[in-house]
Amino acid sequence: MAATRAGPRAREIFTSLEYGPVPESHACALAWLDTQDRCLGHYVNGKWLKPEHRNSVPCQDPITGENLASCLQAQAEDVAAAVEAARMAFKSWSAHPGVVRAQHLTRLAKVIQKHQRLLWTLESLVTGRAVREVRDGDVQLAQQLLHYHAIQASTQEEALAGWEPMGVIGLILPPTFSFLEMMWRICPALAVGCTVVALVPPASPTPLLLAQLSGELGPFPGVLNVISGPASLVPILASQPGIQKVAFCGALEEGRALRRSLAGECAELGLALGTESLLLLTDTADIDSAVEGVVDAAWSDRGPGGLRLLIQESVWDEAMRRLQERMGRLRSGRGLDGAVDMGARGAAACDLVQRFVCEAQSQGAQVFQAGDVPSERPFCPPTLVSNLPPASPCAQVEVPWPVVVASPFRTAKEALLVANGTPRGGSASVWSERLGQALELGYGLQVGTVWINAHGLRDPSVPTGGCKESGCSWHGGPDGLYEYLRPSGTPAQLSCLSKNLNYDTFGLAVPSTLPAGPEIGPSPAPPYGLFVGGRFQAPGARSSRPIRDSSGNLHGYVAEGGAKDIRGAVEAAHQAFPGWAGQSPGARAALLWALAAALERRKSTLASRLERQGAELKAAEAEVELSARRLRAWGARVQAQGHTLQVAGLRGPVLRLREPLGVLAVVCPDEWPLLAFVSLLAPALAYGNTVVMVPSAACPLLALEVCQDMATVFPAGLANVVTGDRDHLTRCLALHQDIQAMWYFGSAQGSQFVEWASAGNLKPVWASRGCPRAWDQEAEGAGPELGLRAARTKALWLPMGD
Amino acid sequence: HDLSWISKIQVNHPAVLRRAEQIQARRTVKKEWQAAWLLKAVTFIDLTTLSGDDTSSNIQRLCYKAKYPIREDLLKALNMHDKGITTAAVCVYPARVCDAVKALKAAGCNIPVASVATGFPAGQTHLKTRLEEIRLAVEDGATEIDVVINRSLVLTGQWEALYDEIRQFRKACGEAHLKTILATGELGSLTNVYKASMIAMMAGSDFIKTSTGKETVNATFPVAIVMLRAIRDFFWKTGNKIGFKPAGGIRSAKDSLAWLSLVKEELGDEWLKPELFRIGASTLLSDIERQIYHHVTGRYAAYHDLPMS
Repeated sequence: MAATRAGPRAREIFTSLEYGPVPESHACALAWLDTQDRCLGHYVNGKWLKPEHRNSVPCQDPITGENLASCLQAQAEDVAAAVEAARMAFKSWSAHPGVVRAQHLTRLAKVIQKHQRLLWTLESLVTGRAVREVRDGDVQLAQQLLHYHAIQASTQEEALAGWEPMGVIGLILPPTFSFLEMMWRICPALAVGCTVVALVPPASPTPLLLAQLSGELGPFPGVLNVISGPASLVPILASQPGIQKVAFCGALEEGRALRRSLAGECAELGLALGTESLLLLTDTADIDSAVEGVVDAAWSDRGPGGLRLLIQESVWDEAMRRLQERMGRLRSGRGLDGAVDMGARGAAACDLVQRFVCEAQSQGAQVFQAGDVPSERPFCPPTLVSNLPPASPCAQVEVPWPVVVASPFRTAKEALLVANGTPRGGSASVWSERLGQALELGYGLQVGTVWINAHGLRDPSVPTGGCKESGCSWHGGPDGLYEYLRPSGTPAQLSCLSKNLNYDTFGLAVPSTLPAGPEIGPSPAPPYGLFVGGRFQAPGARSSRPIRDSSGNLHGYVAEGGAKDIRGAVEAAHQAFPGWAGQSPGARAALLWALAAALERRKSTLASRLERQGAELKAAEAEVELSARRLRAWGARVQAQGHTLQVAGLRGPVLRLREPLGVLAVVCPDEWPLLAFVSLLAPALAYGNTVVMVPSAACPLLALEVCQDMATVFPAGLANVVTGDRDHLTRCLALHQDIQAMWYFGSAQGSQFVEWASAGNLKPVWASRGCPRAWDQEAEGAGPELGLRAARTKALWLPMGD
Repeated sequence: HDLSWISKIQVNHPAVLRRAEQIQARRTVKKEWQAAWLLKAVTFIDLTTLSGDDTSSNIQRLCYKAKYPIREDLLKALNMHDKGITTAAVCVYPARVCDAVKALKAAGCNIPVASVATGFPAGQTHLKTRLEEIRLAVEDGATEIDVVINRSLVLTGQWEALYDEIRQFRKACGEAHLKTILATGELGSLTNVYKASMIAMMAGSDFIKTSTGKETVNATFPVAIVMLRAIRDFFWKTGNKIGFKPAGGIRSAKDSLAWLSLVKEELGDEWLKPELFRIGASTLLSDIERQIYHHVTGRYAAYHDLPMS
């Protein structure tokens, strides 16, 4: 027999049956850092960029504090170099057929597969997250993402015909994140032909490793560039010429600030903000499984943030007992230990939790902490907060990881009210064994993702995103691809930044208008008033503005709408919204068709009014006919409200729903007074939104004519039309917190203001930036882009099993 | 007891499957911890032979192995030779109980003899003969009786009849421990598994056991999770701790570790003792011994290095 290797402790362990350490060797991560001489720069254009005279930041093991490497901080010129490399790479990368890009992505997936140990040990070492989660979850999903998007790339020419890649994408990642957050965004961007400059916070080597793996694959070195630097570089990257889109993922207030500072800049902005999730536990649920859902959401290294937990009152005691029992069995420790549930996420995260808990306690909440957690910093124990008064300040802020804030509800209806009563709209799960109830809640929740009887499932083919203040950018699935595409032929976005635009005074005052003489012209006289709540109403200001025809003669007076009128219109639209959104697409189509028929009956009046605006009779009649066709086309097009996705590894479907946004504000362009108005109205209504519209400022009379028909055809409040000073109304709409989205077709300055003002509730904004649109062309006047912007996606996961 | 305990219960199948997948990946033990846990696992084993060709000679060999499950020198190397490590019981058919009792007596130990009964494995015989079977096994010296339930009562929802039957088994056992086999592979759904577990505990079982080892689906993690949750709920309601016995298909040392951590995670350390946790297995022991050999010597054992059972 060979020599004995057994240690002395077996006896004690035999009695105590405790868990021991299961250390995962991180030798290969250190060896990789050694190849860089423990000094990490940036990875640009397939090469390491290590400029001299840069500050460096230490990259530390978050648990031991050991110095692993030093990371050079980028400066503005490094950012410029990276963007330039990406711009050069974009030329060839986007020109290649999709199959070539697919090959590159597949090869990257293979490289990751071959070197996954390096990837997972490095990631776990540096972020402190449990290695098991990185190894079994993130690294596998990263490969699936690459494979899925490789398939999308290879079919791009057929499946995404009519769309082209935007250009260089600037990707901004938050201080604590998994490299997966980067993968979710770079995969679709690269697949469709964009190139990426990712700005990662200091001391995050994993993205650099990924960039190196991609760069070393050969022919396309510059498609993925990673620079690391402080948050102060964010505006510099975002305003870099050549950047066509900025994808920002991070904290809410930073996103809001970026939205403001990027108003009018060349780059489009996609925001994904916040990390909080929600779990609804009803009294018919399998409570033990729901408790596991809570663990998945907040007390593991799977979920990124904290959890708001709503428990039906009748099972409150039982659920709390099970939660507390389960918490006692959670283990926290060094991320590189193979048997822990939770690692540590650094001192900053730890401080945040402590602040939150202290504050909650001071506001009267009960705090329960348990689990096998090392007592020293930076470990935070799993935390359960209950009895937090709903009105306390702490109940409003985002819940940090690993905290769960539990509160009771009485009925499913109340659960929806409470759940939808936050500005956040990320993800949620519903736990109920009653199918009807689960679907009712799943459809009713205003979030991007809903899981029924599960939490935190993800798949490359399922779009993930949010609504409300969680930002409206998407990744994964078809929606993720459209984030980086624009309709073919759209000119590259130009900056419309006007430095001296005063946001405080833009559109604040309405220039006063005086009577300009009597109206002369063919009778009947145009309708007068603001079309709000289904009827023409006198404006609050009780004044009017003259409208002149193309030869300068007075055509008529329209009402001068103001802030109060906008408020009333939005209220009317909100009242009409539930009824309209609840209609079947068929019923909506029927009403749009009825309006189309009414337009045709009114053709001669409309055509003569267009004629007075300088159109040829033929062209005027054609415009009316085309308008009627648009209404019919959108009614017919929006018959399906979504479709089913099949996901690997899940039994059961995932529904990709297309839900209405809510109340949509539309400021119509001056040109095409009838066609543009109808072209915007039709998709908005077809998808179930209700609208507040500001018609063409030059000739609002045509829209008012249409209103006469809407008054008889539509339920009250569906479409509201407010005439008046364009800038003033735009200001009122853009600053309104209860408008869910806004389309603006007008001046560059107006666009800049709308983008700036939308930061208030982070409503998605579509602004023309002063570029005219060919409304009579199919692609621009009725293209799929309008459909995409008129609804939002929700992914509803329905796992099945007996 | 109250039938309302089972009327409202819901078990979500896909969610339990996910938990079962996770739990196997989330906990591992290595090195000394592994060795100690494996030795502990040995003390939970109901060393079983349930074959048509069992005779007194292989029963005798089995009983000897139950007394000396791990080679003495390996235990010495681990400083565990004085811990009296034996398997928890030997488990045989009723006709072999006498042989087992005799062999164990000859080996000079008090390892209990468990006997399957009540028309094992199908349970499709008359209640009268099933009860008689229990009595005879107890008379022969079995101190633990593994009974199978009548699956038709579960599938047709006759919970009260099931309760009454198990009560009668309980009475027939007298002093002997009653382990109720739910044959979970044939119950149709996890909700039924929970309900049957609860009924079996209410009727006075000392243990609930997953399966006979003769069904196509044996001890699986999802089923175990549901049964363990039922045990915990019963404990919370009544204060009584009921034991758990997975059986069938547990062959490797690695499996046994996963079962230990499953019980530790779902019920806690109090359940990790032979009075409350058993593993029904026949070939598991030799794999554990092989792993212990490797731990002690650093080498993989040849077939002939370890005594057969």
